[in-house]
Amino acid sequence: MKTFKTVLTLTALGLCASHATADTGKLLLTGGVSSIDGAAGGGMTPWAVIGTNATSGEIGGTAFVTRANTQDYGLTTIGAAVGWHDRVEVSLAQQDFNASPSIALNGIAPFGVMPGQHIKMDILGIKLKVAGDAVLDSDTWMPQIAVGLEHKRVSPGSLGSVLKFLDTQTSGTDVYVSATKLLLAQSVLLNGTLRYTNANQNGLLGFGSGAPGRSSRSLVPEFSVAYLLSKNWAVGAEYRVKPNNLEALGRAAGLGDALAEDNWKDLFVAWAPNKRTSVTLAYVDLGRIVPGITGNRKQTGYYLSAQLAF
Amino acid sequence: MHKSRLALTLLVCSLLTTPTFAQTAATVGAAPAAMGSPLYTTFGEKPGLVKLVDDFMERLVADPRTEPHFKPADQKHIKAQLVDQICVALGGPCVYKGADMKTSHSNLDITKADFNALVEVLQLAMEAKGIAFGAQNQLLAKLAPMHRDVITVKD
Repeated sequence: MKTFKTVLTLTALGLCASHATADTGKLLLTGGVSSIDGAAGGGMTPWAVIGTNATSGEIGGTAFVTRANTQDYGLTTIGAAVGWHDRVEVSLAQQDFNASPSIALNGIAPFGVMPGQHIKMDILGIKLKVAGDAVLDSDTWMPQIAVGLEHKRVSPGSLGSVLKFLDTQTSGTDVYVSATKLLLAQSVLLNGTLRYTNANQNGLLGFGSGAPGRSSRSLVPEFSVAYLLSKNWAVGAEYRVKPNNLEALGRAAGLGDALAEDNWKDLFVAWAPNKRTSVTLAYVDLGRIVPGITGNRKQTGYYLSAQLAF
Repeated sequence: MHKSRLALTLLVCSLLTTPTFAQTAATVGAAPAAMGSPLYTTFGEKPGLVKLVDDFMERLVADPRTEPHFKPADQKHIKAQLVDQICVALGGPCVYKGADMKTSHSNLDITKADFNALVEVLQLAMEAKGIAFGAQNQLLAKLAPMHRDVITVKD
């Protein structure tokens, strides 16, 4: 946490550099919102847009806080991003996942999971726009394309013994390519992302898996669609396919689908009253998250995020 | 044109632009000059565009981001060109006789931020005229590609 605070301070100082600070470079909502991993895009997926209000020749910053709650779990994420010349985006996020139900794992084996255990995860994101303009190239089907990576480091606390047992790594790097297009005449934004990852539940349950689960990375697609209702309001939906690396391991251990991982979906509404602020509210369906300890329940609930731009 | 004749023409035009009369319009022959695409009608046709562009120019001069570009310019000339350009973009019965975007902007210092600022000011002007958001975006979709020729300061 101390390191993170230091980084944020440095980021803030960096924004006072001599380049034109981005007050109003981009059109409203065209920088996306902050995803839970910190990258600009939808709530759960990075888009090809470079975050912040900074357009060409400008530098900008954003900071966000997100809270999501489902039946058995809760997630708080805070983070910040810097956008450079609408070409490069660097983001930092810290997730704090309330994994209290995991104490039930002590019933399977003496893992020593503590009550009220939280899992923390730090994510460093780097994104590079490589082609296109999502908004202004309205006479062609060519989307804006960006490539990026998310380096994730998870601190599982007393759940470390469980991750070791599952033979998952505590850090990993997702690599992705995104294509984003605003169909301006239709007021519709489309995004497709292809992510190369071995993260379990986005990394919160480590990376990879012992055999017969999948330890290697695989390609998974993610989709967002947003409809711009007005200058300040957008509604949309997202769908994220997950690699589900651990289920096979659980089955082999005689636990059925206890470790299954489902695809994520959400329906969202985003409001940007001005260039400085945006708020996103979503209904999330995260499917099963370690169903073995959560009575096979689907995790559904709300997601609320606020982002400030500088 | 007498007021009553003008009123009659406009009435006939508005009737002809509704789907029910589309067939009739195709066979009736030369439609009056005021008839155009539905989008053109949404913007109030020529008179609507003149009002929009008048307001647009006022806002461009008032906004500190665009004022340096437009205050010293030949505003009357630019406004006339804008009306024609937008009319064409909306599918109206106009002809744009001005210079192409590249030529008219080549000796100016225009950044992406400048371009985006202009788009924002245009959005405000359209909003003030009560143009529906969807219709606004349809016009912007026609104008946005001009960024390639208008923006002279490439990053």
